[in-house]
Amino acid sequence: MGLQSVKNCLWLPCVLRTPKACFWSTAGGGLIIQSVSNDVYQNLAVEDWIHDHMDLEKQQVLFLWRNSPAVVIGRHQNPWQECNLRLLRQKNIKLARRRSGGGTVYHDLGNINLTFFTTRKKYERMENLKLVVKALKALRPQLDVHVTDRYDILLDRQYKISGTAAKLGRTSAYHHCTLLCNADKFVLSSVLKSPFKGLKSNATPSVPALVKNLFEEDTSLTSEMLLDAIAKEYAMQHQIDHHITLINPADETLLPGISDKTKELQTWEWVYGKTPKFSISTCLNMVYKDSVLDVKVNMDVKHGRIEVCNIDLPEQWLPPGLYSELVKSLTGSKFCPNEITALVTALLRVCPQDDELHSRWSLLCENMIRLM
Amino acid sequence: MAWRALRRVGPVLAPRCPLLSLPPREPVARRLGTSSLLLAARKFTDKHEWVSVENGIGTVGISNFAQEALGDVVYCSLPEVGTKLSKHDEFGALESVKAASELYSPLSGEVTEINVALADNPGLVNKSCYKDGWLIKMTVANPAELDELMTEDAYEKYIKSIED
Repeated sequence: MGLQSVKNCLWLPCVLRTPKACFWSTAGGGLIIQSVSNDVYQNLAVEDWIHDHMDLEKQQVLFLWRNSPAVVIGRHQNPWQECNLRLLRQKNIKLARRRSGGGTVYHDLGNINLTFFTTRKKYERMENLKLVVKALKALRPQLDVHVTDRYDILLDRQYKISGTAAKLGRTSAYHHCTLLCNADKFVLSSVLKSPFKGLKSNATPSVPALVKNLFEEDTSLTSEMLLDAIAKEYAMQHQIDHHITLINPADETLLPGISDKTKELQTWEWVYGKTPKFSISTCLNMVYKDSVLDVKVNMDVKHGRIEVCNIDLPEQWLPPGLYSELVKSLTGSKFCPNEITALVTALLRVCPQDDELHSRWSLLCENMIRLM
Repeated sequence: MAWRALRRVGPVLAPRCPLLSLPPREPVARRLGTSSLLLAARKFTDKHEWVSVENGIGTVGISNFAQEALGDVVYCSLPEVGTKLSKHDEFGALESVKAASELYSPLSGEVTEINVALADNPGLVNKSCYKDGWLIKMTVANPAELDELMTEDAYEKYIKSIED
């Protein structure tokens, strides 16, 4: 970074706001920027900002970014179905929902993200991916890489190294893709496995694939080399300078309104609440006093909230009043461990102080929360 | 409606879309109506949505050109009944081949119904974009907005022009 990048950052407002006056005239039809942030929400907000505010008719944009560990689901996906949310929480891995379609991916610093912004008319995913392949070949001609008709990039004909998604708006569009360099494959495969059984949904499902890191194939490669090669290829095709301008997504003066966009992407309402309606029909196998109790649970969840709830407990296992209170308060609540924990704790407080009841209650609630 | 122009779509559009190649509708009988709200002819936006209004309720969908350009629709995100829309407002999105394409309202009004069949069968948008694959129904707050939309003839010319 250093001075050079500071200068670039300062220069960007004029690049972005008045392309005609100071940038467009000198740099032609393209701009290459790279985020200095590794925060997935900030970087997704940069995409939104460019999509909403930049005149892509005048200049197309290539945005390069990397994230610290995060799982990113597609716009119409169900996080409970796509990943192991408990593991995400345990490992402090962020969960984000993109505005583009497609399936779930795992990001860490060993993965490069590329976003190609164009007008909707010029949106052409195949061209972009061919550009990436060309850049890889320019760097290492012996690499066996090609683009599939599902817009994946395969290495050695079988390993996915890049996945694609896109968003098309009124006049602007973007296509983004990942590029696996040296991501943690163990974490990747463990977080992208959902433990959920009995979930029914019309949400877009992911298509699992065998993956490989590019650096496994060639240990001499680095992320910087790849970014540079892609920037060079992009610059050549757009007849612009291959210089990469650094951008700080926290800079509100540079990108007015960006912090609101970042905040929105972090809200529960966006990440979980946008999940297409789904239903759960599962059985909790609760071990109580050396015997196993099978408790059937049925729920309908809409906008991330429990709409209908049915817990099939043995008669008299809980006092009937308490049971109906539980169902009543679950209905309408967020399908979310924190909210449910708070709710059941409050319910128990108004109950008679009975150790037996308390342990039954805790067991049931623990099992319910484990679902979320 | 977001779309991607596929050049190969052009020449095959007419045969694969009999509705677009029908002769212009004869409006004589319907001209008796005092308001264009009684006309059920489809009108089109430049973003490839269509709307046809009958008894004051507009049915909205996407054009055949749009559905072909999108490819297989796998998910339809539609608004809640009661949502108030202004003309050009985003009202949902269609997902196809990893792309989410925003939908834009052709008119101002309130959503009165959504096509619930699309939840289980989003492919209806491809199979029957003008009939079973409709997206929403809405009230027409400002009938004059209908006049700003393209007739089928004009729309057909429009898609020819953007393909060239």
